[in-house]
Amino acid sequence: MTLILKRIALVGLSLFALLDAGVVGQARQRDGEWTTYGGDLGSRRYRPFDQIDRDNFKDLEVAWRFKTDALGPRPEFIFQSTPLMVNGVLYTTAGTRRAVVALDAATGELLWVSREDEGKRGEAAPRRLSGRGLAYWTDGREERIVYVTPGYQMIALDAKTGRKVAGFGRSGIVDLKLEMDQDIDLESGEVGLHAAPIISNNVIVVGAAHLPGGTPKSRTHEKGYIRGYDARTGKRLWIFHTLPQKGEFGNDTWLQDSWSYTGNVGVWAQMTIDEELGMLYMPVELPTGDYYGGHRPGNGLFGESLVALDLKTGQRKWHYQLVHHGIWDFDIPCAPILADITVNGRVIKAVVQPTKQNWLYVFDRVTGKPVWPIEERPVAKGDVPGEWYSATQPYVTRPAPYDLQGMAIDDLIDFTPQLRAEAVKLVSRYKIGPLFTPPPVSKWEGPLGLIMVPSATGGANWPGGSLDPVTNILYIYSFRAPTVVGFTHDPSKSDMNFINVQATDPAAAPAAPGASAAPAGEGGAPPLTVQGLPLLKPPYGTISAIDLNRGEILWQVAHGETPDAVRNHPALKGLNIPRTGRPNGRIGTLVTKTLVIAGEPGFFTMPNGQRGAMLRAYDKATGAEVGAVPMPAPQTGSPITYMLNGRQYLAVPISGAGYSGELMVFRAPRATTTTSSR
Amino acid sequence: MIRATAALGVVMCASIWLAAVTSGQEPRSVWDGVYTVEQAKRGEALYAQHCGSCHGGNLLGAEAAPALTGFEFGANWNGLTLGDLFERIRTSMPADDPGKVSAQQKADIVAHMLRVGGFPAGMTDLARDTQVLSQIKYQSTKP
Repeated sequence: MTLILKRIALVGLSLFALLDAGVVGQARQRDGEWTTYGGDLGSRRYRPFDQIDRDNFKDLEVAWRFKTDALGPRPEFIFQSTPLMVNGVLYTTAGTRRAVVALDAATGELLWVSREDEGKRGEAAPRRLSGRGLAYWTDGREERIVYVTPGYQMIALDAKTGRKVAGFGRSGIVDLKLEMDQDIDLESGEVGLHAAPIISNNVIVVGAAHLPGGTPKSRTHEKGYIRGYDARTGKRLWIFHTLPQKGEFGNDTWLQDSWSYTGNVGVWAQMTIDEELGMLYMPVELPTGDYYGGHRPGNGLFGESLVALDLKTGQRKWHYQLVHHGIWDFDIPCAPILADITVNGRVIKAVVQPTKQNWLYVFDRVTGKPVWPIEERPVAKGDVPGEWYSATQPYVTRPAPYDLQGMAIDDLIDFTPQLRAEAVKLVSRYKIGPLFTPPPVSKWEGPLGLIMVPSATGGANWPGGSLDPVTNILYIYSFRAPTVVGFTHDPSKSDMNFINVQATDPAAAPAAPGASAAPAGEGGAPPLTVQGLPLLKPPYGTISAIDLNRGEILWQVAHGETPDAVRNHPALKGLNIPRTGRPNGRIGTLVTKTLVIAGEPGFFTMPNGQRGAMLRAYDKATGAEVGAVPMPAPQTGSPITYMLNGRQYLAVPISGAGYSGELMVFRAPRATTTTSSR
Repeated sequence: MIRATAALGVVMCASIWLAAVTSGQEPRSVWDGVYTVEQAKRGEALYAQHCGSCHGGNLLGAEAAPALTGFEFGANWNGLTLGDLFERIRTSMPADDPGKVSAQQKADIVAHMLRVGGFPAGMTDLARDTQVLSQIKYQSTKP
């Protein structure tokens, strides 16, 4: 078939798909496009394109670049959006004000920009900056872009012009601080969102997020209820009380009336929808107090639960609590992934939940029953005054964890005996232990706190994983870096009995008024590094491939070149250290016909001598690296791929220390574009 | 053309040499005692007031904001200068209103970050001037 005929065929398919999309009235995927945050509503981040492959990845062309500096009053350095590509137009949130831009997907030309100056409401928002992305909706006639501002307003824009849709909410805006079944100050009320909404069957679902809760000012807090809205009018259709009210299912898991004042329990991660079943899957965060739960006794549903709702009504179908009465900040951080797997000959419609704690939780998504046993096992109880401890926690029996869970001496740096010895000495002042070890009250003489691995940022985090639905192999990035959790009582900072601030040397000079902790060497805890090296053994960052039919890890590779500080460290001179990956979190993967693609986290000195990060491709069957191209900064949003005019593109949001946000778009080198694919 | 390029090169080298001579300073790094304990203590209180709610009381980061100490932070800034770090904070932090914390206060906060990171204190406060701070290299590991 000639190239022209192929293009005619592609146009024909696209037109057919467009008509199909018009029938169902939602973000139905068309050939070559990327119309929802997760690539599809099942959050698989997969496209079966093969124009970019193992042979040409290293020769990718830079198609265009788009700097985001002017999209707000100042540049942004944490550009986390995942763009969409629909009908030749790339849409993304960007900039410090979370503007929405429409760009020509072939050239990067700016087609329109929409900005919302929210004044003090935006400045007070708990989740500021460019956010994670946006949603697309069409009924076959109209096309809309829907997103949530930092100040928690949902806005619908005409996808062609960027103008607000008059018939949606009030002049295109729905104030999400209203109709939330609680009184929320419109300016200072501490609720917002940086996730993208998700849309299906003309229902928009919007999550809720708050400030991080390690040192909350109060046990009383806004509640993060989840709502569904009519995609045409912006009218609220339903609300689900993630923290159940009196008389509702689960309210009895909140002892001593703690449901009445406790807040959070929102969904700040992306959600997932099964259109065929009409079900919504919500990964819920934990209640107020990321580490101290003494003011919320009980298991606290639906904290840290995967909850399945009827999309149209918001009625609960099933739920599964992954952590009871969480005190480790194991918020469920990312979208669950839909997979139709075959286990021992039985076909199962599954939903797979990656987590910070490095387990994949696999359920039958119709019934909520675990595919492999999840066992309630006794766990250690702590002795923090007033804390309420769950006697058991759920343990996943299959697949095996994809990264460290808890920490032992054997996990410490061991490049040399001297480094190991220093690491052992360093951790001797801390509590260490397996997963679900309870954090202690911090004491200067020890323990200063629990060294928690994975940290509160994972493991895996908000980018989540990818799934090849043909092979049912799931790919996920995780990293290992420790954090410390230890409590002090400080009524000047919080009405909580304890907050996560470590003790300082009582003999050291008193800190300035309002200070939180004395620093290293001056009466404060020492940094968790050994001669400037990571405390833990590598690999610091890993991509894992997990066969969901068998529940087995297929391969694992260190993702990211060894950090400069390790490569050039004098104590490691002469040692042959394999690639370590980098101990940075939050990397999204993309799966194509043959490749797993992901940019590196953090900076290093690239082979070309410049400071930057590589975009890497792996053979998805084996994990062998097959190509890499340099970028001036690390990947910070998740990559997408699309086909346009017969060429495959990769769009990667990048930013980092000293490098403001930029969308970097690659495409297949021209010599290979005659072997196009769908 | 070649001659013009060579001449430009000579002028640039001379300018760099002249700048080095007139500044009268050897290149410095964060290991050379570039802040004072008193300044860091001022920064500690300012950090708790303006930064800790997002970056964590112990600077170890949280879901919505990165760590400001530790290996990850050091690896990202390694090779840049304190001027780069200061300018990042000066222009964009605190995210709700960068103007509400003065340049002097932000220099104090950087001093606090250096102290938490285990870099030694010295006899002179960290300047609040980007140009001056650009002469101080951020090296994550001790030379």
